[in-house]
Amino acid sequence: MPAEQMGQISPRLRLIFVVTSVLFLLALAISPIRDFRKEWKRYKRAYLRFVQTRPDTKRLLADYRPQINQIWLPDLAVVDRCTTCHLGITQPTLLDASVPQPFRAHPSIPHPVSQWGCTACHRGQGAATEATEAHETTLAWEQPLLPVHFIQASCGTCHRANLPETPQLDRGRALLVQLNCVGCHRLRDVERPQMLGPDLTSIGTKVSRQWIYKWLKEPRSVTDLNGNVTVNGYMTGGLPRMPQFRLTEQELRDLSGYLSTLQSKPVKPYHFDPRALAGGKGDPADQGELRFRQMFCSTCHALSVTRAGTTSLIGGDIGPELTKIGSKVNPDWLAAWLRDPQDYLPHSKMPRYQWSDADLYSVTQYITKRLTDSDLLNGVPSLAAPTGDEVERGRRLFIDKGCASCHAIQGIPVQRDLGPDLSAIGARDVSQLSFGESKIPRNLIAYLQAKITDPLSVNTAARMPVYRLAPEDLDALTAALLSMTGAPATAGLQKLVVSQSPSEFHPAGEFGRVYERYKCYVCHQFKGFGGTLAPDLSYEGSRAQRQWLIGFLKDPKTVRPMLVLRMPQFNMTDQEAATLANYIGAALNSPDVGTGATDGKQFTPDRAAMGKQLYEGKYACQSCHTIGATGGYVGPNLNNAGNWLTPAWIEAWLRNPQALVPDTIEPRRAFTEDEIQALTAYLLTLRVSGKQGGATQVARAENASPESEGRR
Amino acid sequence: MKKSAFLVLVSLLAGFAFGCKARKSEFPADPLRQAYDSEADWSDPQRIVSLSYDQAQGKRIFYTQCVWCHADATPAGPSNRSNLNPMPALMNDGTVMNKESDEYLQNIITLGGSALSRSAMMPPYGQVLTQHEIQQVIAYARAIAQPRYQPPASPGPKYTAR
Repeated sequence: MPAEQMGQISPRLRLIFVVTSVLFLLALAISPIRDFRKEWKRYKRAYLRFVQTRPDTKRLLADYRPQINQIWLPDLAVVDRCTTCHLGITQPTLLDASVPQPFRAHPSIPHPVSQWGCTACHRGQGAATEATEAHETTLAWEQPLLPVHFIQASCGTCHRANLPETPQLDRGRALLVQLNCVGCHRLRDVERPQMLGPDLTSIGTKVSRQWIYKWLKEPRSVTDLNGNVTVNGYMTGGLPRMPQFRLTEQELRDLSGYLSTLQSKPVKPYHFDPRALAGGKGDPADQGELRFRQMFCSTCHALSVTRAGTTSLIGGDIGPELTKIGSKVNPDWLAAWLRDPQDYLPHSKMPRYQWSDADLYSVTQYITKRLTDSDLLNGVPSLAAPTGDEVERGRRLFIDKGCASCHAIQGIPVQRDLGPDLSAIGARDVSQLSFGESKIPRNLIAYLQAKITDPLSVNTAARMPVYRLAPEDLDALTAALLSMTGAPATAGLQKLVVSQSPSEFHPAGEFGRVYERYKCYVCHQFKGFGGTLAPDLSYEGSRAQRQWLIGFLKDPKTVRPMLVLRMPQFNMTDQEAATLANYIGAALNSPDVGTGATDGKQFTPDRAAMGKQLYEGKYACQSCHTIGATGGYVGPNLNNAGNWLTPAWIEAWLRNPQALVPDTIEPRRAFTEDEIQALTAYLLTLRVSGKQGGATQVARAENASPESEGRR
Repeated sequence: MKKSAFLVLVSLLAGFAFGCKARKSEFPADPLRQAYDSEADWSDPQRIVSLSYDQAQGKRIFYTQCVWCHADATPAGPSNRSNLNPMPALMNDGTVMNKESDEYLQNIITLGGSALSRSAMMPPYGQVLTQHEIQQVIAYARAIAQPRYQPPASPGPKYTAR
């Protein structure tokens, strides 16, 4: 190489050098560029630009940090970096829907994000720093974000008792119980009741083989694809009592044959007193219809009613709907049932009424003659007495199909856990679910909903019957299932669980006997136990005067004109009414209401007149309460308040209604003590005597009730 | 030749640097399934209004406390509304409610009608509901209003994060 060329590089070498240096530079730049372009950094920069457009920029930037934000709560197993991008989550001024996501504030809830994190409720991958990784199912993380529509499921993972803020979840939990899911599945917090479906040990004495065939083929409640429930062709808001099973013609014959032979306890025809039958005037069925209405059977049993051209079911859903019951049951069985329901079904909710022979006769006549339909068994083939083969096959089918999960038959062991355990279904990973051939999205929610509405779509061998629910009920049920996530992951979470407080109230003694006989707890609450249809009676002893209680129990007159469902007439004896009233007065009292006798002298006519003025003028109580013939329908009728309510209760109630009945809708007013006394004095002057008062009350109540119009 | 190799190299690097971001979402975009809750428009049952968390809480409170006098149908059947004089406004009646500010509605619910020289039949709810709950009820009333409610000038210009 010549000397002058020393130190010089050939153009080729120079080119290689330039290219490699540029490549080297570019390679070096990759890392900072990738870092700069990270998704969360882009959101950080966007937030900085965004807050410049807001009037309170300075305050919005007070907590801003350029790095990853993390909420670490070891007790709850929370490592959440969601606030890295969701930067405005705690800023009250960013609550408006016009604020773009991810900067919008979280609505104010009792669980602040700094103490609870995000994933405890919203699920998803808290430690992720990319939106898709955090929100969706990835190869390394199966639990996606819970759609906000089902978010109440997360409340339910810790709050096992119902909350007022979670109506969807509470509805779903009620459905799990109502639909008897626990017959086949193990569920969290749902215990097997003593009776799911009716005991079938003597079903052959109640109904015919033809009727059983029809029922199995098409349980009387039919739900269409839109979730509309019809019973006997009439629309109802209720739910089917028995789901539809997929049975072949042969299976229908075998099962109906087997069930019709179950007659272990024969029905003895009841012999009515001939004098009672002769005493009535006119058609006994007409009298029976009147008694049926007067006794308020419709509080538990619906009937179809045609009003303004549309037919719908009206009445309660505690017991079965009865529109065509006369074509279903054996008349002898019916009389025996009405006299003592628990003799046939030991766990029936039906009260044991006191019947006079005349009433029993006329009501059975009404039911068997008027509540009938000659077309009920149309489409049922002629079925002869079942053969031995049919009975044996039917017996095997009863067990194979899982009927014994809900229906007891003496001599057949109760089936349990026929379906999968669902107590941890809400945390199930998608990879553990079998979707079969179905085309639904691969996520838990789609799976649950497909499984409930059409079990065969995800599993062709499914034994589960078909449930067609209204969309909102399906979502409620899904939320309740999603809330069952199994055992809490950490001890800290375990401590947070607010469990249901199951309570039973079955007092002993004479009261207990009458209480069980009339099944008071089916509709009323007693110290946290019982139904929710009727008022909570835990403090009834403080509220009602004894004489009024006895009169009411003997002949209930509604005090709430708006109610469609009323307390039935039990025809109880004086002795029974006194037993109930004595116990209520002695044991069902509120600690907030004084029990001592109130000094009547303070309630002078002057005070009462002042109370009347306050009632009608300043506080306009008549907007919700009725006195005489004027007033509103929202609160109870006060016509007889002076005989009904105790003075101590009225005073305590006016001071703070919510302290006595937490969910009452009576607004708490700022009365002075003076005003409370005056109002109490006025209310105590409101009395109606005996018969006349009762009659006006009923007349008025029936005018207000659409149901009674429809029946007429 | 070299130029094209260089371009290929650069594009490879770029692809390496920025990765593939395209991934499709798991949940179908049904707006009602994305909303916290929903309610059918009172005058047009076909139109479903989506409700946010606060509006849904307001709906819950409305259906326990207010529905008896501020709607024509109630969970228990007949409404008390026609029974009152002056007749209370329907909760979705935008012709009445849209004129009133949030502050005014909050005051009348908290203090009752007589405090604002309106009908004494409207009781005060300040001791039954918290201020936050009353705001939720107002948010619900705004959501179902017919004609629709337009909030007074929203703060700041429209802005999107992307």
